Amino acid sequence: MGTFFSTPRLSLGRKMLQINWGLILIVTATAAIGLAMLYSAANGSWNPWAGRQLIRFGVGLAVLIVIALVDIRFWWRYAFLIYGALLCLLVAVEVFGSVGMGAQRWINLGVIRLQPSELMKVGLVLALARYFHGLSTEDVGRIPYLIVPLILVALPTALVLKQPDLGTALFLIMIAGAIFFVAGVKLWKFVVVLGAAGAAVPIVWSTLRSYQQKRILTFLDPESDPLGAGYHILQSKIALGSGGMFGKGFMQGSQSHLNFLPEKQTDFIFTVLAEELGMAGGLALLGLYVLMMIYGFAIGLRARTHFGRLVALGITSMVFFYVFINIAMVMGLIPVVGVPLPLISYGGTAMLTLMIGIGFLINVYVHRDVTISRTGGGA
Amino acid sequence: MIVGRRNNPESIRIEGDHKTAIETGRNRLMVAGALFSAAFLLIGVRVIDVSIFRSDSEPRYTRGVTKHEKNVGRADITDRNGVLLATSLNTASLYANPRLVLDPEQAAMKLSIVLPDIDVKAIEKKLRSDRGFVWLRRHLTPRQQYAVNRLGIPALNFQREARRMYPLGPLASHVLGYTDIDNRGLSGVERYFDKELRTRQRNLSLAIDIRAQHVLEQELGAAMKKFFAIGAAGLIMDVNTGEIVAMSSLPGFDPNHPGAIAEELRFNRTTLGVYEMGSTFKIFTTAMALDAGTVTLGGGYDATNPIRIARFVIRDYHAKKRWLSVPEIFMYSSNIGTVKMALDVGIAGHRKFLSDLGMMKPVLIELSETGAPLSPNRWREINTMTISFGHGLAVSPLHLVAGVSAIVNGGIYRSPTLIKRDTNTPGPGKRIISLETSLKMRRLMRLVVDKGTGQKAAAPGFLVGGKTGTAEKVSGRGYHRKALISSFVAAFPMNKPRYVVLAMLDEAKGTEETFGYATGGWVAAPVVGAVVRRIAPVLGLRPVKADEASREILAIEVPKKSDRERRVAAH
Repeated sequence: MGTFFSTPRLSLGRKMLQINWGLILIVTATAAIGLAMLYSAANGSWNPWAGRQLIRFGVGLAVLIVIALVDIRFWWRYAFLIYGALLCLLVAVEVFGSVGMGAQRWINLGVIRLQPSELMKVGLVLALARYFHGLSTEDVGRIPYLIVPLILVALPTALVLKQPDLGTALFLIMIAGAIFFVAGVKLWKFVVVLGAAGAAVPIVWSTLRSYQQKRILTFLDPESDPLGAGYHILQSKIALGSGGMFGKGFMQGSQSHLNFLPEKQTDFIFTVLAEELGMAGGLALLGLYVLMMIYGFAIGLRARTHFGRLVALGITSMVFFYVFINIAMVMGLIPVVGVPLPLISYGGTAMLTLMIGIGFLINVYVHRDVTISRTGGGA
Repeated sequence: MIVGRRNNPESIRIEGDHKTAIETGRNRLMVAGALFSAAFLLIGVRVIDVSIFRSDSEPRYTRGVTKHEKNVGRADITDRNGVLLATSLNTASLYANPRLVLDPEQAAMKLSIVLPDIDVKAIEKKLRSDRGFVWLRRHLTPRQQYAVNRLGIPALNFQREARRMYPLGPLASHVLGYTDIDNRGLSGVERYFDKELRTRQRNLSLAIDIRAQHVLEQELGAAMKKFFAIGAAGLIMDVNTGEIVAMSSLPGFDPNHPGAIAEELRFNRTTLGVYEMGSTFKIFTTAMALDAGTVTLGGGYDATNPIRIARFVIRDYHAKKRWLSVPEIFMYSSNIGTVKMALDVGIAGHRKFLSDLGMMKPVLIELSETGAPLSPNRWREINTMTISFGHGLAVSPLHLVAGVSAIVNGGIYRSPTLIKRDTNTPGPGKRIISLETSLKMRRLMRLVVDKGTGQKAAAPGFLVGGKTGTAEKVSGRGYHRKALISSFVAAFPMNKPRYVVLAMLDEAKGTEETFGYATGGWVAAPVVGAVVRRIAPVLGLRPVKADEASREILAIEVPKKSDRERRVAAH
């Protein structure tokens, strides 16, 4: 770690004690539920999903603790650099990336295949937090100062849209929106942006791929095409409805086990859970996420630095959007967009992204009393 | 635990605007938290909603076929022994949402490969329409449904429907009737009981015995073919309960293909058609006269000369040109004698008698297709004279059978019914004639088959008794000599009648075998004989041996001469 910090560094031992073990317990419990569901979705087998997911969780946990222990000022200092590196990766995906499921989203790093767009969610949080940390309250109110953060959002969003991945692009915009909001950007500006976005809908509509258009149309009327585009959402609702109060029991869900639900291990894993563990299971999982977010808000409120608070809020909103979009989608409240359920859905990068995010959250807590001046020096 | 001890109080130095920023940040953080909570509350409520409250409506795709669904559609119709006559099968009907069809021309062409009988152009036109729903083909077989599914055309879908099936085809078609493609009853009991068949889930048991029905249709059909008749009608009625055991109107139709039924085939000759019945009406005239006491079995009338009234001349077909006793009048079917019998009872009595027998209004039976009799507006002497031998009053074959049932069953008129009665005990009825008169009529009718015009209706051991009838069909203002309604109405066994059988042929032509005759005795009586021989054992009747006492009660003395002539001869 660098020697350029003016405030005294905490010893590694003290930091370990400061680590928010309660939050890690919640994360581990959630991941355990996820593993159980993947085990069930594979008809009671660690192959092909649960075993690999367990390894990823282990790796993720290690990454989480390392990130939590590194001094927050290090992250503050290199926030833009991390953002820039991820942006390069996004460009690299565009150039060298492999195509999976009709979209170019993956980059092969030899050992692991990464989805940089997922990691970019955290990268964007760091970059925006770093930028707004450096602004005074008056500056936040001035429009020229908003140009840089808007570019920070626009670059990755454009690259992700190009892949094309509408869901992640919107996701990035929503996280950014949350950070802009907490950073103190005036409300009327949000209204203007939302109005402009509404006006742009017809234009955007025409640029959407046909499958994206169809998803939105299907959302509006899933019964119109019960065997085609509406199939997923209908089957998913059936699974949810058939779960009832306490579900059909672990490994007993017919919708998922009889393969009515293709790709159930990823975005639609919540239906497996709701069918097998019922409303009680679904609400329990929601409860774990709520606890996770309460931790996030409490850490944000407690943080002494603007950077820390914005990072905490950014990560918390990321968790929120993951959970909310996924579950709302599965239950037919919003159109089907490819957003996984954090810690539950099968998928390495999503798991890693969330663990990294939680790592930053704990980092903010561990360094809650560290201060960083607007220009960088510890006050 | 979250909010830890401030262990570095000395490091807190907050500048003015920095403090404001923190305040704003905190407030906004709280607002964001509140919004997130609201959103989570929303999905939490939704989780409860879909898991608990939607559990009944959503899994309709996953339910198996339950018993209730099997019975969707119309209730089954069975005969009196439970043989299935009409049932509903679940079928799949093909429809499309034309808005989702990508290539109507190709889709129509592909469909025509698996459904060769469809009209490609019409289907293509339907698929091009801008509606959200078009029927392409109703009631596919499972094999066709599989073939259509294999085409993999999006926008095609199947609607589960029930299709009415009549496993026995044209048998008893006029009784059953048929339904349209939406399973609404259009004729027969399907129409009469339409609402009940739709709503109640219990079978409808008809009085029909399908075995007797089959025999009747087969024999009638054979006679129709043999004598080149344009149609035929037949009825079998239980004289004690009023149940119609068989009802046949030929030519029939296949109710499985209602669209292909020609208008004239739908006509039910037994209930909707009204005909001048001819000599079979002499049963009523004779019974009336015997019951009124104006003549006895030993009495008779002079039938030497034809009766002239107004412009009509009433002759005898088998003229004996002498005095005839009542049994002779009946046996030889003397018009002259019958007219005199009716005139002795009187016009008012005659009319009341026939009215009591239900001959003036449509028969009450569980069919919509019932015809009103054609009766004279003003009933004068000439009407009584012609109606006495079956002309001038047109009734349906069912009228005749119901009336004859009352004459032979002991004298009680019972409304005919197509519905199986729960008990074998005779239902309520209206007394028409006395038991004694009924017993006399049995003997007279037996005499016709034994020695008179109806000998071809004989069925050894089953004591058939009956009466022939031959009427010229009305053609314009007069009668048509060659267009005949030839009928034979019978009851059996005559010692204790159980069933009345009617066979009627419409415009039968004589053959070499019948020496050119197409009268009831030649063409209709053999049908009744054959039917009785075949169905009596099926219906559980035992043949009566020739020497049994039961035959005694049917014995009748046939006086050849009037008392006066006999007295003269004795001198």
